[in-house]
This record gives sequence, structure tokens and C-alpha cells, in this order.
Amino acid sequence: MKAKQVQASRLTGFLAVVRYEILWNIRKKKFLGVLILAFALASLTLFLPVALNRVNNVPTEANPDYVITTGTGVGSFGFFLFALVTVMNSISGEFESGSIIPLLTKPVSRTTVYLAKLFAAFLTILAAYVLLSIYMAAGGYILYGPQNNMQLVIVTLVGSIFSTLVWMSIVLCAGSVSKNSMLTALLGIGIFFGLSIASGVLSAFSNQAWILTYAPGNGAPARLGNLRSTVNVTSFRNLTQSVSSGTDSIATNLVTYILHPANNVTFTKTEISQGTGELLVPMYSEPLSLVVARAIIVAAIYIFVFNFIAWYALKKTQVAE
Amino acid sequence: MDFAVETVELVKRYGSLVAVNRLNLRVEKNAVHGFLGPNGAGKTTTIKVLLGLLNPDGGSVRVLGQEVHGDKPEVRRSLGYMPELPRFPKHLKGYELLDIYGRMYGMSAQERRDQIPKLLDLVKLKGRENDLVGKYSKGMQQRLGIAQALLNEPELVILDEPSLGLDPVGMVEVRELIRGVIRGGKTVFLSSHLLFEVEQVCNYVTIINKGSALVSDTMENVLHKVKGPVTLYIEVAELSGRIVDGLRSLPFLTDVAVEGNRLTVTVGTDEDVRSQVSRVINSSGGTIVSMSQTGKSLEDVFVQLVGTSQEGA
Repeated sequence: MKAKQVQASRLTGFLAVVRYEILWNIRKKKFLGVLILAFALASLTLFLPVALNRVNNVPTEANPDYVITTGTGVGSFGFFLFALVTVMNSISGEFESGSIIPLLTKPVSRTTVYLAKLFAAFLTILAAYVLLSIYMAAGGYILYGPQNNMQLVIVTLVGSIFSTLVWMSIVLCAGSVSKNSMLTALLGIGIFFGLSIASGVLSAFSNQAWILTYAPGNGAPARLGNLRSTVNVTSFRNLTQSVSSGTDSIATNLVTYILHPANNVTFTKTEISQGTGELLVPMYSEPLSLVVARAIIVAAIYIFVFNFIAWYALKKTQVAE
Repeated sequence: MDFAVETVELVKRYGSLVAVNRLNLRVEKNAVHGFLGPNGAGKTTTIKVLLGLLNPDGGSVRVLGQEVHGDKPEVRRSLGYMPELPRFPKHLKGYELLDIYGRMYGMSAQERRDQIPKLLDLVKLKGRENDLVGKYSKGMQQRLGIAQALLNEPELVILDEPSLGLDPVGMVEVRELIRGVIRGGKTVFLSSHLLFEVEQVCNYVTIINKGSALVSDTMENVLHKVKGPVTLYIEVAELSGRIVDGLRSLPFLTDVAVEGNRLTVTVGTDEDVRSQVSRVINSSGGTIVSMSQTGKSLEDVFVQLVGTSQEGA
């Protein structure tokens, strides 16, 4: 077969597997459930303040930064949940049901199968987040008046997808190695909640929260701006916004960076003392640009490494059963 | 000679278990080759090695002239495979599944539009093509398995236990489908437990046990390997002593027993003597109502070879 024909047939095979996978993703009850849940939560975020204001006969004030601060309406747990329900059985489910055999006996390489499954998951998440972004942007505009920096919605979208891809890669890797959907889900949930708990514990009881910067998830807790001495949490909270250094905060940090490029970020430790209450103890400060760039690089490394392991596991699997 | 499938000293192990043990297999092009063996003989493992689902631990494998080791999609382009108890993604509809598989084979939209309805018709799934595969019965999935194996009009069709798990009606339907495939003139490699099915449709046969080939030859030659007498059961209208005497005078018949108008004749030669027996009965004034033969069936060969192989273990 000539080189061009081989390339064309690879592309046709790739697109066929993408189609196969997208049809699966959008028909997964778990995925549809999470999508409905995301829209329900987005609706609550949008309408609840307006509804409460109506009940209390208080006029709803215009908020030109509403859309850019709420983003897609999907937070850290949302990224994880979307990733989990989209790909937790993409590979393991095929092995469990036996449908992997007819798939791998078609003239499509395992590398193509893997890349197409990954791409289909990306497209599925992209479509879900685009719908949510449009819903939030249109709702924000209607309820809170004309919005500033609407062009940054795309940055939020890209950042959110990047964050989701990290979790997707971890879940795909677990599925490809274990070939067991239940184990994959448990492992994913364990990692997510483990890191979330670790974040709180490390920031409250040790000086080592920086390590979370290099883990998937929220990362180390910090505050926007320069904090030079220990302050009461409540007073400082009113002054600056909280920032996290992890892969789940890429979208928020990117938007903040674009709006305030010269800002610094102060990493803090929480201390509780009698009398003064909860205190924020400054640890060290870094430019926001460094925090954003590092989170993107860390996310890219996770995406590459976990996908490489997942691909290698699929490539080398012997389909005995 | 160019074979559709050729394995030389093929070895496949699962840990310490040798599933395929120096197997030499040759499947002639445009032939229907039966692949027989008891459970755990290594049939499915061999097929999975041919398809690249498993890597061999020794020896070589060539399918349609191309070396197979690992993931070789170009080999699978001219190949159709129906797995043992096929399972397809439940989220797809029957037509969607065939359409997507057709795309994977690089078939054009027109080719898919022409081929898929024909296959749905062939496997009697017309009218159910827009149902989710998850709603298909076992028999329907089996028929869908045959349809997807024929989608790309393959040079070689590998069918692994196509009748397994089906009820008698389903088995008959699947057998008819296989006959249809064979009439299409393709090379068919058929792994089956149903010996009479293989005997009826195959012109070559390989019997394996414990991963090694016990015999691999034309069906005719394999049937000749059976030891022991062949018995003819003949029902004759107006059976007379002249007919019985005539038969008893034939040197290759060792025994002729009479019961009513039925004859039980024991044959003492490996040759097919049915035509000579018929001539004697006819020339002695008898009319044959029916004649059947036992012994020398594939089942006998199978039992004899596999039994001997088990005893020798």
C-alpha cells in the first residue's frame, strides 16, 4: 500500500473509533447524569441569588464580572467527576464485556484505538463545557447585566479542559492497566479525595504544603498579593482572593494572570490560636506568572506520563479471554 | 505453495502451561478448513495468535502471506473474524455497529450502504438493525458476529465456534449461514465442537489436542485413518435369500445379518463399497429403500485420535 493510502486508512480508522467512542460517551447514563447535575448546579448558581433577592424585595445589582468569576460553573470536583464518568470504562469496560476482541481484530492499530478514545473523550468534555459556558454566559448577561472580559470565557474553557485532561489521563491509565472499571473508579476517587484531604492537613499542620503544587488537584493554598506578616483570616480574606497552585486551578489562575499580570501569590499556612482565631501565616511569595506556568507544565507532564503508561499497557496487553 | 494460514512450530504458553505446542498448521486458499479439538486443546489460543491478539512464544505465523507478530492492522484488512460467543458494544445499534466497523475497514459510504443491508438480510436481522445491540439475544449477537465477519468481503474468514450456546433452531440457522459463506468461495477456517457440522462442510480438517496437531489433511484422508469396521444398515423391499447369498459371497463383507427386511452388513475393508453392495442387491431383484453407514465418521476419527492421545499422556 502506498504511503498516502496508509495515511488515509489510518485517518479513516481513527475517525471511525472516535465516532464509536463518542456515541458511547453520550449514551452513558453516568455521563448524562453528571451533565444534568452540572446544569442543575449552574442554574442554582445563576438563579438562586436573584430568587432570594426577589423574596426579600431587594433589587439584584448588576455584576459585570459575574461570568468571568464563575467560569464554566465546574470546579475541582466537577473536573474529576466529568473525567471519571467519561473514561472510567473506556478501556476497562471493553475488556470486561469482551467487545475489545471485535474492536482489536479490525484493521486499526492499538495506538490508533487509544488515541481515538482519548480524542473522543476530549471532544465529549469540550462539548459539555462549551454548553455550560454558553449557558453561564447567557444567563449571567441576562440576570446580571452586560459583562466585562467576555473573551476570557474561552481561556476559562481551555483551562478547565486542561485540568479535566489530567484526571482523565489518571483514570484512563488506571483502566488500561487494571482492566477493571470498579477498581478504576475506586482508585480515581481514592486519589482525588486523598489529595483533597492531604491539602487541608498539610496546610494546617505542616510547612510542606508546597509539595501539593506538584500533585494533581487543588495544589497548595495561597492568597493573591503580598502578605508579609501573620494576619487574621477574616480580615485578609476581605482584601484578596484565594488562589491554589494545583492543576485544577489553571483556568482561574490564567484569568487572574491576564487581568493582573504583575501580581504575586503568597503561599500560606493556617494556624488556629486561642483568642486571635484562625490565622494565615505567610510562607513565601511567588509571581503569579510562575504559579500559572508551573501548573500548566505539571498538568502537561501528568497528561503525557499517564497517557503513555495507559497506551503502553493497551499496546502490550495479550487478549487471552 | 501460498497458504492462507501457515504456522511453523508455533508455541504459546500461559505461565507454565503450554497452550499451543509446536503446532504446524496449513490452511489452503479457497478451502474450508475445520479446526477441531476437545475443550482446552488450544484452538481459540491458536486463532488469537493468528489475529495478533496474543503474541507467540515460539515459531512463526503467516496469515495471507504476511508475518504476524503483535499488532499488525494491515494483516487484518483482508480478514473476517467471528469470535467465540461474540460480544459487541451494547451502546450501538446493529446498523451503527456495522457502519463503524465498515469505516474501520476503509469502506466508502457507498460500499457500506450497499453491503450492510445485504448482510442484515443474510443474517436475518433486517427490521432489528435500529435496536441497540444490548437488546439483542445471544442468537442475534451470534448472527451479527457473522455479518461483521463478512463486512469487508474478506479473503479469509475465521469462525470460532459459531454455533456455541445456541438453541437447535439457532444452530441450524447459523449452519445455513456458514454454508452461504462457503458458497461465496472464500477461505474459511472453522473451529467447531460440532463434528457432523465440520464433516458436512469442510474439505480439510486439523484435529489438535494439548496444543499439538494430531492430524491435518483432507477430510477424505482423515476419514480413512479410522480403524475398525464400517457397518451398513440397508432396508430392502422384498428381501430374498438370493440377495443375502449374493452379499455373503462378496469377499470384503465379513458379516451379513438379517432382521425382517433389514440387513446389517459389516465391511472388512477401508474402501467405500456401497456401490458394489447396491449392485448386488439390485441384480438379485431387490430394491433398496434406504442405506446408512456408521463408523468412519469424523466423530470416530476424533474419538480415536484424541482418546489415543489422552491415553499416551
